[in-house]
Amino acid sequence: LRCQHYPALRALQTSATLRRAFDEHRKEPLTSSSQQHFDSPPAGHQPEQEPQRPRPSYTGQGGQESEDYESEEQLQHRILTAALEFVPEHGWTAEAIAEGAKTLGLSVAAAGMFHSDGSELILHFVSECNNRLSKLLEKEHKLVQLGEAEKKPIDEFLRDAVEARLRMLIPYIEKWPQALSVLLFPRNIPASLNLLTSMIDDIWHYAGDQSTDFNWYTRRAVLTAIYNTTELVMMQDSSPGFKDTWRFLENRVADAMTMSNTASQVQSTGEAVVQGLMGAAVTVSN
Amino acid sequence: CPALLARLAGAVRASRGLAAGPEMHFGFQTVTEEERREKIYQVFESVAKKYDVMNDSMTLGIHRVWKDILMHKMNPCPGTLLLDVAGGTGDIAFRFINYVRSVRQRQLQRKLKQHQNLSWQEIFESYQKDKFDSLGDSQVVVCDINREMLKVGKQKAQHLGYSKGLSWVLGNAEELPFDDDKFDVYTIAFGIRNVTRIDLALQEAYRVLKPGGRFLCLEFSHVSNPLLSRLYDLYSFQVIPVLGEVIAGDWKSYQYLVESIRQFPPQEELKAMIEDAGFFKVDYENLNFGIVAIHSGFKL
Repeated sequence: LRCQHYPALRALQTSATLRRAFDEHRKEPLTSSSQQHFDSPPAGHQPEQEPQRPRPSYTGQGGQESEDYESEEQLQHRILTAALEFVPEHGWTAEAIAEGAKTLGLSVAAAGMFHSDGSELILHFVSECNNRLSKLLEKEHKLVQLGEAEKKPIDEFLRDAVEARLRMLIPYIEKWPQALSVLLFPRNIPASLNLLTSMIDDIWHYAGDQSTDFNWYTRRAVLTAIYNTTELVMMQDSSPGFKDTWRFLENRVADAMTMSNTASQVQSTGEAVVQGLMGAAVTVSN
Repeated sequence: CPALLARLAGAVRASRGLAAGPEMHFGFQTVTEEERREKIYQVFESVAKKYDVMNDSMTLGIHRVWKDILMHKMNPCPGTLLLDVAGGTGDIAFRFINYVRSVRQRQLQRKLKQHQNLSWQEIFESYQKDKFDSLGDSQVVVCDINREMLKVGKQKAQHLGYSKGLSWVLGNAEELPFDDDKFDVYTIAFGIRNVTRIDLALQEAYRVLKPGGRFLCLEFSHVSNPLLSRLYDLYSFQVIPVLGEVIAGDWKSYQYLVESIRQFPPQEELKAMIEDAGFFKVDYENLNFGIVAIHSGFKL
């Protein structure tokens, strides 16, 4: 009478696989670093491990958290990360997600967890790129703080940050226009706008912006415009190494700097003119 | 043998004081488990030949749309292994084959587009190669407990010209004749209502699915809108049995049908049962205000 044994067996299975999964997770960073040193096939080793090891299982239905539980979100993350590898071939589609799920030892039907237009895959990718950019900027910031590097002038900083972020698109550049259009679907606009603004925020934060006045808005608007236009230029740039794009970026950042200088110049000139007029008025009245 | 097991299971459960003993509902009547299974078998034995005609007339053809929506929700890619339980006359199976075939066509077209400047010879050869692959290794297994329904399904398949990637298996949803971790997708369309022990069927579904596999259930469900519910009840109890008598000469079977819809657990309850069987990301989508609902869960 199998039905009677099912619940007990499942509990055992869950805890055993949880423990194994946790060990796997702990082992993984080690194997990847040893890969760098030894160049021997732990790379060949891992795909063999994949089908043998049972996919990590989840909490019991009670939903209690323990240290070694992988939530549905984490599994979805892993599937999407695995799917990125298939994007150049299949595009940002459910097929790429299905292939990604296959590499994790899951059925292709697991792609049904996501939307069929690939929105989640794209948003996941954008979010991952933003995280990488943050880490990069953080690292540079630390170096500057420790005095091991020079603090870059603002235009160079912005230029490097935008370039670093856009370079992350290069492996997927052929299918990126498709992704951009999907990000513009009304359903996705809140999420994509959110990601964009937080990325721009990050860059300005590490650039040392501490403004609390209207400048905050102007700075972010300007950098957003620079980023978006450069991204579009990159889409149809066929120069080697995208050097046309980087030149465009340089010019736009320079424009922005000139604009702000001009703006402050205009402001101070304006103030000077007003003061002169006031003085003249006082003189005349006396 | 399954009958014996079921009786033993019933006895063990009764001795443990679990569930509601061997008393079950058959429409609005109360019967034992055994009687229920037999009665349901007889119902489908008698409706088998007119099953499709009755479906069309009762739902005014809308059942086709429901099944199409189910297929779109599944969005299978070539290479998927589908188990269609209680699949009787093969509606879901045929739709699956059509869907996968068209996805495969698009895939091949895209691949060809990428290879520009091919000679005619090369194009011809690529079509030859992929001719054996028009389904891309996708397969559907139709499993039904009722021999008559399977017979009708096989005849339909022959008539419509479906042969590749299709197989017909006689089996009980509560005890599937398949190994563990075999299928990518498990569907049960308008069938789970007729299963006597739904929890067992769900457990079997969990067992035969691969990790990451998907469970999809299309079934009549509960309408919460009171006005619509009144109209629906009126239609169900006044019109459908009459149609059954006129078209199929079988009032009682269609009376059973509409009664069984009322007895079936509502959306949330079914969702909880699916979660109990071990599925994750369980969700449901109401079609036509709850007249029909698609439940989906993943074996993660």
